[in-house]
Amino acid sequence: MYKFEKSFYSKTSMYSFVAVMILFFSMWFSTSNFVHIDMALLGYAISSAVFAIGLTIRMSFWMWRKATNRVAKRSIGNLFTKERMKRNGKALVRTLIDNIILQKFIFKRGLYRGIQHLMISWGCIISFGITFGLTFGWMRFDLIDSETYQIIVFDMPTITMAADGIFAEIVYNGLNIGAIMVLIGTGMALYRRITDYDVKVTQRFEFDILPLIILLAVTVTGLFLTIMYTFLGGWMHHYMSLIHQVTVIIMLMYFPFGKLFHVPIRPLATAVPMSYQEVIKVDTKSCKSCGQPYSNDDQIADVQAILKSQNFDLQLADGTYLSDYCTGCRRRMRAMKQMNLESPQGNPYGPVNTNNGIHLSGFSKKRSEEFYGLDQDAKEEKIDEPISR
Amino acid sequence: MNKIMYLEFERCIGCRACQAACRECGDHDAKERNFVEYVDFTESRQTFPMLCMQCKDPACARVCPANAIQITEEGVVLSAMEEKCIGCRNCTFGCPFGIPKFDFETNKMYKCDMCYDRTRNDIAPMCASVCPSDAIRFIDFEEMQQLRRKRTQMNLVEGKKPQEGNKWDYVPEFFGVYTDSQS
Repeated sequence: MYKFEKSFYSKTSMYSFVAVMILFFSMWFSTSNFVHIDMALLGYAISSAVFAIGLTIRMSFWMWRKATNRVAKRSIGNLFTKERMKRNGKALVRTLIDNIILQKFIFKRGLYRGIQHLMISWGCIISFGITFGLTFGWMRFDLIDSETYQIIVFDMPTITMAADGIFAEIVYNGLNIGAIMVLIGTGMALYRRITDYDVKVTQRFEFDILPLIILLAVTVTGLFLTIMYTFLGGWMHHYMSLIHQVTVIIMLMYFPFGKLFHVPIRPLATAVPMSYQEVIKVDTKSCKSCGQPYSNDDQIADVQAILKSQNFDLQLADGTYLSDYCTGCRRRMRAMKQMNLESPQGNPYGPVNTNNGIHLSGFSKKRSEEFYGLDQDAKEEKIDEPISR
Repeated sequence: MNKIMYLEFERCIGCRACQAACRECGDHDAKERNFVEYVDFTESRQTFPMLCMQCKDPACARVCPANAIQITEEGVVLSAMEEKCIGCRNCTFGCPFGIPKFDFETNKMYKCDMCYDRTRNDIAPMCASVCPSDAIRFIDFEEMQQLRRKRTQMNLVEGKKPQEGNKWDYVPEFFGVYTDSQS
């Protein structure tokens, strides 16, 4: 394995090579030695391969980050621990249903945003599924007899359907349904991005609006294709299919490098119920100072390891780290340090000494003698002097 | 932007006007992102305001597994990007000052962004614009330097000279976002 890795320029290029090889052989296998390949989709196939390379590179670099690496490693380690099976299963199912399929947390941010995101995401998932399925030949339709189609997935015959049945209509129009969903979603998102002042505070055109425009271009050109062959008798269909192909390729090239990259990193959200906070809002580790629970041991260990690996020195004199204290105590420690209110014993969470002799806490307080810098010798002299003077 | 946030904890009177103002700021979604807390309620009534330091190399961004915390070109550390944030709360534990807050309902982290839409245009952030006792100020870098010098001079007038070992005891807190360029 080590030698195999050495034959590549870098690990990332090895992963990219493996990804492309998997795609190539899956294509070979599912089109039964390229017999059933759809030549009209060759452009899509090549751009999808480049897309796979881009995605692999981005994922590798993302995983290389200290924080991501640490969290992912712990999650993968926990995934194969026998004692955690029940918890893992629960976490995976909950994240899949709540977070990815239903996207409940976005609906809590607002119904409008929820519908908008659900439309875009599911429209994209449907469209991507069908497009990749057809371009790589993972899925194809075979005519069994004059009235029955069979869906063949990975060269294995699956369900049959009547060629003019309702189910068949839905399957044929899968891309149209997806496109209409994305059209509604991107329309809603664009409207929100343009009119909502709150969103405008941090939004950037190239990051937040450009992906919407690209998605919109793909869906509109795709829907125009349908309109052209159903209502206009194929007028300008050839040119439009080229334009559509160009927009799709732009989107595929943009995907790993722009905002859309949030899709492949979302599954990491499983790490939270799986390795960190099992039940929402229930903490198990208590603060070193006030004793209130604020986190759990595994997470604090990870945070400290990540910070240490990046040369953040947040260790206090007594050996504890700042992350051993709850957020409230950390704020208090900072304020006390700045106001010189720390107790003279140097115990940052002991009783407060409100008079440090420099900054006075109240108008009636007197500063300590030593503040005025009278040196000890002068004082002693005074004491020794006769009272009459 | 060459202005900075200037905090003087001792001036805080605990009115919490800054928090009320923070809730009104654009994109803050009616939730305050700053803190006003007692130093030690049993000892004195001294409160202090607490804002994000807008670190140059923020620990919160370094511990984020999703790479969701971004820094603007002006140097403002923004809240986690909503689409990337996976809701692990590493940032709240990594931050040495305990600044980021987390909303479990909507699964997103939010923190002081210095009212980015205001400070970007050299307008004082909401908290600084309402503070009645000037505990939070949004001032020029030069003005801050003057205030610091004055503070040291006041101590000198009273006969105390900062020594090498304790000179920081005399400096009030200052922090903020300032770039080297004059733009």
